[in-house]
Amino acid sequence: MSPPAVALEKLVVRAGRRRLLDVAELRVPAGEIVAVIGRNGAGKTTLLRACLGLVKPAQGAVRVLGQEVWGRDAGARAQLRRRVGYVPQLLPARSEMPLTVREVVAIGRTGRAGLFHPLRPGDWQLVDEWIERLGLAALARRAFSEISGGEQRKTIIARAMAQQPELLLLDEPTANLDLGWRERMVAAIQQLHAELAISILLVCHELEVLPPACRRVVLLDGGRVWASGPPETIFTDERISALYGAGLRVAHEGGRHAVLPGSGAHV
Amino acid sequence: MFDFVFWLPVMAGGALAGASSGLLGTFIVGMRIPFLGVCVAHAALAGAVFGSLGGLAGQALLLPALGASVLTALALGLLDPQRVRLDDNAVLSFLFSATMGLAFLGIGLHGILGRSDNDVRSMLWGSLNFCRWRDVGLMLASSGAVLAYIVVFFKELRAIMFSRADAEAAGIRVKVVWSGFLVLVAAVLTVNFQTVGGLMIYSLISNPAAAAFQLVKSCRRTLAVSAVLGAASGLGGFLISAATDLPSGAVIVLVSSVLLALAAIVRRCR
Repeated sequence: MSPPAVALEKLVVRAGRRRLLDVAELRVPAGEIVAVIGRNGAGKTTLLRACLGLVKPAQGAVRVLGQEVWGRDAGARAQLRRRVGYVPQLLPARSEMPLTVREVVAIGRTGRAGLFHPLRPGDWQLVDEWIERLGLAALARRAFSEISGGEQRKTIIARAMAQQPELLLLDEPTANLDLGWRERMVAAIQQLHAELAISILLVCHELEVLPPACRRVVLLDGGRVWASGPPETIFTDERISALYGAGLRVAHEGGRHAVLPGSGAHV
Repeated sequence: MFDFVFWLPVMAGGALAGASSGLLGTFIVGMRIPFLGVCVAHAALAGAVFGSLGGLAGQALLLPALGASVLTALALGLLDPQRVRLDDNAVLSFLFSATMGLAFLGIGLHGILGRSDNDVRSMLWGSLNFCRWRDVGLMLASSGAVLAYIVVFFKELRAIMFSRADAEAAGIRVKVVWSGFLVLVAAVLTVNFQTVGGLMIYSLISNPAAAAFQLVKSCRRTLAVSAVLGAASGLGGFLISAATDLPSGAVIVLVSSVLLALAAIVRRCR
């Protein structure tokens, strides 16, 4: 049996005296999609950064792909990160960035190729394959800074996938996207999982972003796991209303979930 | 009559300073830290000033200048922006003000102790017209080192320029590659600094790279265009100054500024 893609145990992350995360246990079984849902500031991004070894925990263990993240030197941690694709919430927004879409996707092969080795034809083949698969072929030679927000986000997903990751970490993958782009992104995540059986840890604050293949969700509040289980069980009107502090209803259909206005009363 | 043989090393020095600064500028401007140039230049000045107080003179001042600029560059490279909760430009402002304070304190001490600070002052303003083949040799060696480093670590530098945080998350050895790059920046700028001066370094780092960003889209082409525009600024500026008898440093700075303005117009017209 494969070890879990992510296993957090008694994890505490602090910023000064402030406790950002205090997670007793959280697992992402190999080949599954787990979504962490929470308000802004709940500790979702910190959770992903802890999985990548980018923030050092004050206590507890972080195991990714069966390996302890912090029981190793910086070089070994970098090697582990090469097996993990990461799509950050914030994208570089520098208008003068002299990088084409193809060059940005190629960053995914950079760590894998290693220091002192240029990208080989096989690397570029993978880069072009993911550009094609994510429908970016017509934009490959355009400047990254000149394409739309949705196209930029797809480019970053292509970059993460070009890494041939065993685990994909998605931080608010539909942030700032319109409804059309949001649905395209959800479909792309669902398809990646169906085709590659890749483990995915997705964090977001919108229930609508979850693909039907996501069968386990975790509610995070104030850095702590508040509830976890199948989405239909966890996403109740009461819990979601209490989590977001507003009267809300949750609708479930075909494995997707949507939040609707409830009584209007604040909880 | 223009003495070509006498002025040839000056032209070569101007072109080399422009080309190497243009190459470095692509990454420095791409990461939005153009202030790095003046910061490293003032660290070099502080090193030279205290070297001079310690009894060194002439070319020997290059050693303490190099030491101070490399230490400053390493301080920037090894600081974790998220841990210190300051962005690179805030750290650069701190380092710049500290090194400038040290440099001017040292210059003041020269007066108090009755020492000559002529060597140090010529370093501050540069002296391109006195550039000789020995200086050109040093500039060639440092520029060659930069070119080699960029060729070897091109893909990592490209990723770091896109986003340092993303590059680290993708398993790229950011600290190793970035610190090495900053040390080379310090070495090249220190070598260029004593020949062309601090103001010219700042303009040759910023303007050719910013102009290249207006004209081309890919990282590789930006590097090439930036180096060519830097060399054109250095060489063209010198030739114009020789023909008009105007100060070479000022003309070179203005030529690089005009090239940037032209590039912005070309982009707008496209």
